[in-house]
Amino acid sequence: MSPTSEKMTSRQRVMSALAGETVDRPPVCNPTNVATVELMDLVGASFPDAHRNGELNARLAATGYTELGFDAISPYFSIIQESSALGCDMQWEQKDNWPTVRMSNPIWKSSSDVKIPADFLEHQDTKAITDSISILKREYGDEVAIVGKTMGPWTLAYHVFGVEPFLLGTVDDPGETMKALHALKEATIIYGQAQIDAGADVLTVPDHATGDLVSGEYYKRFLLEMHQELEEELSVPIMLHICGSTVDRMPYIAETGMAAFHFDSKNDPSEAMAAVNGKIRLVGNINNPTTLYARGPSEVRAEVNAALDAGVQLIAPECAIPLKTKLENLLEIPLAVEDWVAERGGN
Amino acid sequence: MPITHEGLARELEYVTNPGEHKHISDAIEPTAPIMQEMAYELIVGNNTEVDRITQEALQEGFSANQVLDDGLLNGMAIVGVKFRDNLIFVPEVLVAARAMKAGMVHIEPILSASGADPAGVVIMGTVKGDLHDIGKNLCIMMLRGAGFIVHDIGVDSSPEDFIDAVEEHEAHIVGMSALLTTTMPNMGRTIATFEDMGMRDEVRIMVGGAPVTQDFADEMGADAYGDNAVEAVDKAKELIVILEELKAG
Repeated sequence: MSPTSEKMTSRQRVMSALAGETVDRPPVCNPTNVATVELMDLVGASFPDAHRNGELNARLAATGYTELGFDAISPYFSIIQESSALGCDMQWEQKDNWPTVRMSNPIWKSSSDVKIPADFLEHQDTKAITDSISILKREYGDEVAIVGKTMGPWTLAYHVFGVEPFLLGTVDDPGETMKALHALKEATIIYGQAQIDAGADVLTVPDHATGDLVSGEYYKRFLLEMHQELEEELSVPIMLHICGSTVDRMPYIAETGMAAFHFDSKNDPSEAMAAVNGKIRLVGNINNPTTLYARGPSEVRAEVNAALDAGVQLIAPECAIPLKTKLENLLEIPLAVEDWVAERGGN
Repeated sequence: MPITHEGLARELEYVTNPGEHKHISDAIEPTAPIMQEMAYELIVGNNTEVDRITQEALQEGFSANQVLDDGLLNGMAIVGVKFRDNLIFVPEVLVAARAMKAGMVHIEPILSASGADPAGVVIMGTVKGDLHDIGKNLCIMMLRGAGFIVHDIGVDSSPEDFIDAVEEHEAHIVGMSALLTTTMPNMGRTIATFEDMGMRDEVRIMVGGAPVTQDFADEMGADAYGDNAVEAVDKAKELIVILEELKAG
């Protein structure tokens, strides 16, 4: 990617970078979430209500652009909206904690239990996001990229079957695991399409087949073809998100045809760039718990520079950030990108 | 005596660090064939066989401690090394853990009734806002296997939950787990609460979980960090020694 001197809008910057085209500077694109308690207070839209009400959700999500200066708005903060609509036992938590699925109380045991409710898209918690995307598209759609999110089948399987039963099942009966993943993939497609219809420019697909849990060969065996299918079914650029160590599966991820892969700080940016070999763009990988949460702007800037020096095309925190992350650290990310471009030229 | 079980001998080849290889090999070599068979079946996750072999061993007169040390823990030692070295991952560890539980069911009542002094008392929990418990449960299983009394306070545990459990059980060690980068800061909040309550010097605190690092553990003020369940046991043993030295003045 070579630099262009023509100033782009945030939306143009993100869409061009995802397409592998020339950009004026690498975009700061957030595939997951940058909501914090400070931002909640600033706009009067707090967790947990901001997960479940489209208007509050849009108000809080917009701060990623209006307050932080990121090039994307990502309104789906968590990873649990579809699971709530599927009937999972939910724990919505409070303002300063993330909501979660009570995976110790799984709702299903086998692939034959998987049923996507007829009113899946009308459920309060799925509709909150599509409503929010419609609002954000109307208010900011010309300027900034609206990033939706639809959970991949592997992550949905953790929620509906429980992590431990699901992972044991991959050893005990891999064929049954594939059936379950295929059945759950329909929810990924339905919800992704609904967000595209609502105005999403890009979709993040989190599918946590992380190196902290399973091998790279597991990714190839269970998910590669499924992710290729998702890329074909959903018409907007897709950013796959997998936390943790993923370098061993990046060569496979690079074969998905997806636009980008959002990667974690556990992976060295240069090694990651080498692993994908130019076949997929990378988004990342500023460390959350140590750098963004516990350290200061100079450490943030150093990580941004390291990612840019390695050739990472879109800069972002590695994952959803801790809710008490300091704003000065988040504000430093776009500043550091602009300074890097000014000092060293394009990406 | 060489290792007589061919499958177990092959599994031992995965342990490539010479010191570790010698340590595990020295532990396995003097053991009876039935113990080697048990260790092998545990490594490959055959819970039905571990269940059967454990019962057979007890009937043949092997003690519960022999079953634990010579069979189950020797198997888990190799599982731990393979997991740490990314030769196997969580699904394979889970099937091995399931096999270990199949053996523990038969020996736990015997060990409990023996009245032996525990290695220490540990409170284990996943921090507030986090409902993931695989890593925590693996650590608990290994700690119990190593002779610790472990009180599991479950997932989504507040700082007060940890404090209450330490007071109730007069624990030596607190172990905190987190799988999410978003919940990891709650480890620091829990440690701060121990300080605020004037209880920080009473316990040693160790942390772990997939995204947790030594740097983060240091930043939060933890006493120890374990990268995996086997290391958690080593760290817990070290912390007990430190506590005893502190008591001795």
